[in-house]
Amino acid sequence: MRNPLHTKLCDRLGIEYPIVAFTHCKDVAVAVINAGGFAVLGEAMHPPEHIAADIRWIRERVHGKPFGIDLVLPASVPEEKSLEELYAMIPRAQREYTEMIKQKYQVPDPKEKLEISNWGGLDQKRSLDQLEVLFDEKVPVIASGLGSPEFMLKRAHQLGIQVWGLVGKPRQAKKQIAAGTDVIIAQGYDAAGHTGNIGTFSIVPQVVDAARSSGVPVLAAGGVTTGRHLAAALALGADGVWTGSLWLASRESDVNLPMKEKLIESSADDTSYSDCISGYTMRTIRCPWHVEWSREDAPRALKPPLQMLLSNEYITGANDYLRKDLMTEAAGQGIDYVTEMKPARQILSDMVEEALDVFDRFAADDEG
Amino acid sequence: MSSTASRQMTRAENGDGAPFRAGFDAARAGRRAECDGGAAVAGTRFAGRQFFAGTLTGDYRDFGDYPWRWYLMNSLSHAPQGYPHATVWCEAGSLEIEEDPGGE
Repeated sequence: MRNPLHTKLCDRLGIEYPIVAFTHCKDVAVAVINAGGFAVLGEAMHPPEHIAADIRWIRERVHGKPFGIDLVLPASVPEEKSLEELYAMIPRAQREYTEMIKQKYQVPDPKEKLEISNWGGLDQKRSLDQLEVLFDEKVPVIASGLGSPEFMLKRAHQLGIQVWGLVGKPRQAKKQIAAGTDVIIAQGYDAAGHTGNIGTFSIVPQVVDAARSSGVPVLAAGGVTTGRHLAAALALGADGVWTGSLWLASRESDVNLPMKEKLIESSADDTSYSDCISGYTMRTIRCPWHVEWSREDAPRALKPPLQMLLSNEYITGANDYLRKDLMTEAAGQGIDYVTEMKPARQILSDMVEEALDVFDRFAADDEG
Repeated sequence: MSSTASRQMTRAENGDGAPFRAGFDAARAGRRAECDGGAAVAGTRFAGRQFFAGTLTGDYRDFGDYPWRWYLMNSLSHAPQGYPHATVWCEAGSLEIEEDPGGE
C-alpha cells in the first residue's frame, strides 16, 4: 500500500508530510520544516528590513528546505482619511462604552503610547515594499490571505516562486485558479481569525472539485489540530492541511506564557465569532471585551478601522501587563486538542502517527 | 485596454502612500460589479474580508511599475453594515464585473 500521507503537495515541495504550519514565530517555522513539514511565516505586520532578516535567519537553519512567507495584500481600501478624521468618526456612545469597560476591569494603559501613525494595512505602499523583499530574496512560496493580483503572480512565476491563495468561498477559489495560483488554501468557518461563513467540512470538497481539472493542490484549513483531521482532509480530497492554532502553545512559540495557558485551558466553546475586536467578524478566544460588547445594551461594534482604534488599547494593555483574565488571541475551534505545551516536532509527529493509525484501521477493516 | 486619460504620476492624498498613475477607463464606467475585498486590520496581524457591490466610476489608479490596478466603486448597493464611506477602491483581480447586457 502506498503511503497515504504522500500527496502531490509533498512532491511539489519536496517535503515528507503534507502538513503546513502557519505561524508568526520563526522558531516554530524552523522546527516544523526540519521535522518534515512545511511552514509559512506571517509577516504582514513587519517592515521590509525585518522580513529580509527573518528570511535569512530561516535560510541559515533549514538546510536548503523550502518555506513560505505570508503577506496580506489589500483587496479593497476606503477613500483616504487621516487618522485624526477616523478618530473623529467614532461616536460618543462607543467611546464611553470603551471607557466603561476599561474602568470596570481595571484595564491597564499600554506601556508605550500607541504609534498609530505607524500602523500598516491602510494602503498599498507597505504591500509593494514587502513584496519587493520577497522577490529579491526569491522565497520559495508567497502566501496571500486575500487575493493574488495578476502582477504578483506574473513576477513570482518569472522568479520561480509559488503563490498560494487563501479562500473562504468556492468562487474565490475559481478566480484564483483561473489567475494561476499554485496552491489553494480552503479555509472554513472553524478557523481562527477572519473567516468566511462556510464550515471546513463543506468548503473543502467544493474547492477540491473546483480545482480538480487544473491539478492545483488544495489545503484544508480551519479547526485542524489532530491526525484525524488530517486523515479527514485527505479523504475530502485535499492534498494537505494548513494549521495555525495548533502551534500557538508549542514550546517554541513566542506567545507569552499566560496566553499559552489560556489556550490550553480553552475549548471550542471558548472561541467567539464576533466583530467586536476589529469590526470584521473574526474568531478569537473570549475575554471580557467580548462579553461586554455582546450585551443587549451594548452599542453596535463599529466598522474597520474604527473598532480596532477602540479595542487596541485594551488588548495592548492586557498583553503588556500579562493580564491573563483580559487576554485574547485568534484561535480556531480545534483548540480543544491543544492540551499541553509540546515541542513542534512532537506535535507534528503525533499528528502523522494518528493519521497513519486512521488509515491502518481502515485498511484492517477492509481486510477483515 | 480601453480608453484612458490622465496618466500623470500622483502621490496619495495623505502624502505617505505609494505613488500612482490615475486614469479613466470609459469601458468600465457605469458597469455594475462585485468586489471580494478586504485588507489587513491596522495595528494587528489579522486580515479581514469585506464584500461590496456597486457601480464602477471608470476611475482607476495604477500603483508600482507592474502596474497594480485599482478601480473606484460608488453607488454601493452592498457594503458591510455601518461602512462609513461612500466609495471604495477595489483591486482589479478581486472584481467580478457583471455582464454588459448590450455586449462590449
